Amino acid sequence: MASYKKKSLRNALEFSAFTVPAVITILIFVILPFIMSFLYSFTKWNGLDKVPKFIGLQNYIELFTDDKSMLDSLVFTLFFTVAMVVVTNVAALLLAVLLDRNIRGRNALRAAFYVPNIISLIVIGYIWRFIFSGAFDSLYALTHAGIFMLSWLGDPKIVIFSVVIVSVWQAIGFYLVVYIAGLQTVPKDVIEASYIDGAKSIRRFFSITLPLIMPSVTVSVFYSIANALKTFDVIFSLTNGGPGTSSTTIALDIYKTAFSENRFGYGTAKSVILFLIIMVITVLQVTVFKSREVEV
Amino acid sequence: MKKRSGKLEGSSGNTAISIILSIVAILYLYPLILVVINSLKSFSEIMTNVVAFPKTFMFSNFTKAFEIMKYPHLFLNTLTVTVMGVSGVVLISSMAGYKLSRTKTRYSWLVFIFCIVPMMIPFQSFMIALVKVAKVMNIINSIYGLGLIYWGLGAPLAIFLYHGFVKSIPKELDECAVIDGCSPFRTFFSIIFPLLKPVTISVIVLNAMWMWNDFLLPLLMLSGAQKSKTLQIAAYDFFGQYKVEWNYAMAGVLLTITPAIIFYLILQKHIIKGMVAGAVKG
Repeated sequence: MASYKKKSLRNALEFSAFTVPAVITILIFVILPFIMSFLYSFTKWNGLDKVPKFIGLQNYIELFTDDKSMLDSLVFTLFFTVAMVVVTNVAALLLAVLLDRNIRGRNALRAAFYVPNIISLIVIGYIWRFIFSGAFDSLYALTHAGIFMLSWLGDPKIVIFSVVIVSVWQAIGFYLVVYIAGLQTVPKDVIEASYIDGAKSIRRFFSITLPLIMPSVTVSVFYSIANALKTFDVIFSLTNGGPGTSSTTIALDIYKTAFSENRFGYGTAKSVILFLIIMVITVLQVTVFKSREVEV
Repeated sequence: MKKRSGKLEGSSGNTAISIILSIVAILYLYPLILVVINSLKSFSEIMTNVVAFPKTFMFSNFTKAFEIMKYPHLFLNTLTVTVMGVSGVVLISSMAGYKLSRTKTRYSWLVFIFCIVPMMIPFQSFMIALVKVAKVMNIINSIYGLGLIYWGLGAPLAIFLYHGFVKSIPKELDECAVIDGCSPFRTFFSIIFPLLKPVTISVIVLNAMWMWNDFLLPLLMLSGAQKSKTLQIAAYDFFGQYKVEWNYAMAGVLLTITPAIIFYLILQKHIIKGMVAGAVKG
């Protein structure tokens, strides 16, 4: 009995020695601040006060009834997310199907489309600010095409397109890799059977390939939704939320509320809302998409 | 006969696709080509024509950007943060992932859930309070503090990956090592850890790219410190300052992105190797 106890004590010590470093760092740098965010969201706090003042649901009431910037950023973020998710996934899937074929130079082509994904989003924003202003002037002089004369970053109606173009351009490489990996899991004999049955290539794609790579679609759509809803860096450097506040995302709005206006308590309330939005949308998406997945 | 003509059609179709995709790829990378071209131009040349090829190569743009950005210092800072962050994540996550996968108790399962649930929590939803935590711990405005915070942020996904992979390593290996008199740590580090190499490479690649390119966390953690900046923060300051002088800005862009691109080109081989090995196995 004593030796059994000793052994289980030793097991417990061993278990702790291996897991405690990870558990503590996760606890301190993720779980604790996450719980604190919930608590701070019920307070008025400017970041300097020793003790934040408890104000109940007042932040949330203000947020839903008296905050145009939150509503605007929410609407912008949702439109941006829909456009971004649809365009990125359709484009990446189309490219993946083409690059999955046995074509010349396909490895070089795959690498080429992946390059923008290696560059930090903050730098991507600056590169495109240069393209939209400097390069587009020269391209207009060269081609006289009207699209180069549009005010891509200065017109509140157009800026969402600019942001989507830049984000999609950066993101495609990642989703391309996911889809190519998915296409490689499609069994060859299933495809061959469809040839014998005389299926046309478009029909073959929609009734055979697509259902078989649904797991990749689920993952890609999940990642693209979550990333789009969290967008911060590229907006920060490309438009800084402007012109006016027309391209401000929720994440940027949270950042500005907390660190420019010094309303930390109110900022955490917004961040709790962002968390809930992301959770609800992604859980719904995964549930719906999972139900469409088929086994081979 | 019919089959052969079909095949021929297919291959000419593939050539057409290959040509079209090559053109698309060049257009796709055209913005980056413009960055390279303009980083070598004089300011007046950029102002007259952005798309033209440079008449004279102004390598001085790079030396100027190099100086203004204090490039070597910032490069070293970013490297320190990344190396510290990545090695910490690999160490604590491989240990935890291994032990959690091997221990089949209810308590172990709960700890595992606790470790991986943070994957679902978006960083933006707790960043304000994280700044507060860092202030209280007095690790704000320090690159080592930043590296440490990455341990907590990177561990959940890494633990998840290690936990899954450890299942494929036979438990008999651990038992043999114990019979041979190895301590648990020795067993892990000299026998198990080398076998985890495929996951370790993925964890290194994923985390290194993220930490090197990350902007928001360094912005929150290092904004008060002049000396301890990362390349991404410096890039932000630098472009804000030299908004109009595109020649310096574009040279700065290239200096900022080159390390990541070199890293990718080196490790791409590893990725392809891994894929080929997997294909042979399958």
